[in-house]
Amino acid sequence: MAVSDHLGAVVKAYPQARIVAFADLSSRMVLASHGNQAVTQEKLDALCEQARIAFDDPLFSLSVEAFGEPHAAVVMALDGVQVFLRSESEPADALVCVCDQTIDLPGFVAKIRETLEKITAGT
Amino acid sequence: MNRGTLPIVARLTALQTPARLAPGGARVVAEIGHRNPLAAILREVNETILARSLCFESGSGSSLTLEVAGRRVLRLTGATGLAGAETCLAAPVLEDEHKDALIKLLQALAAQRSELRVMSAPPGRGSDGVSVGLPVALLADLCLIELNDAGEAEEPEPVAEPPEPATGVEIEAGDEAFLVRFAARMGPTLAAWLISGGSRDGKSDGPEEMVSHLRGFLDDESESIARQLDLVSMVPAGPVCIALGAALSEGHGILCARAEGGTLLGVIEGDATQSLLTAWNAARG
Repeated sequence: MAVSDHLGAVVKAYPQARIVAFADLSSRMVLASHGNQAVTQEKLDALCEQARIAFDDPLFSLSVEAFGEPHAAVVMALDGVQVFLRSESEPADALVCVCDQTIDLPGFVAKIRETLEKITAGT
Repeated sequence: MNRGTLPIVARLTALQTPARLAPGGARVVAEIGHRNPLAAILREVNETILARSLCFESGSGSSLTLEVAGRRVLRLTGATGLAGAETCLAAPVLEDEHKDALIKLLQALAAQRSELRVMSAPPGRGSDGVSVGLPVALLADLCLIELNDAGEAEEPEPVAEPPEPATGVEIEAGDEAFLVRFAARMGPTLAAWLISGGSRDGKSDGPEEMVSHLRGFLDDESESIARQLDLVSMVPAGPVCIALGAALSEGHGILCARAEGGTLLGVIEGDATQSLLTAWNAARG
């Protein structure tokens, strides 16, 4: 199954997901994306950068000190929710997502974790 | 009606009820707002005579996989997102000593107020020759559930507002401070927290040892935290919240939120995904 098919399946299951993208955080590149709205490359680049910052200091260090390396981040601001998930086996691999405030967050996080594992495993 | 005919009527009613299929081939056994999702699960088991593996999954992602046959639960073969399943999973056959643990798992799955689906599959090879297990009638009796109440499923219960989460923090009457309201609505998942700056500077809750550690970190890193929040939200000094965790659906995590000139730093314990968004939206009003 292609990466874009995996991402498309997430958006189909969760229409409140506006953007679901697969990114390489080390090279700061979005490698594939899917969503219900047209998105510019600049927006995807910014999203990737936000994900990288979410997993950066000082909160990254505090997390490592408190419980270990973080692999999941949720950012909520005035408009929308961003969910960032890093692969445990390939920490540079990440899913970066922008969702509506109405999304079923527990179900969505479980879904994208499963999706990221499949993508990283190449299945 | 003759009591002996109740199971027949219940079965006929179930057969007449159109099934709603979920993506992936699962069948919905209890919609959101169902009056008694636990009863819906037990009735599915009660209606399964031939050996099958039934995977019950809630809309929140938790699931239990049971091998059932002849109106008995033979074994628990899978559990996702539910604590305390180890004893039942380790048992080759469920026996009387496991009934309480199994009921707790079923109740936890049913308590999530999400849609419940079931996926049926052939049983595993290990179920050959297993004919004991726990009778579903026993489980139903212990849960005070009438398995043959055919009319219950027809009247969905109105969806109630989730109860206000229990927390050690009292919101003072008229306290409109965003971060205090947010922390209170996170409930017990937010094990310890502290606010720095703003009108509620110094307000905290949780074990003093944890609060003290948070205070030290906020004192040392306030500027770099503010910078990280600016960059991650792309709105300098605007309201924002970030939760970081190994998984966020379990274990520990860190919560950092900024609003009205104050910054809240807290420690998450358990599944933050259940309360995070609800608490944020509710605090925003």
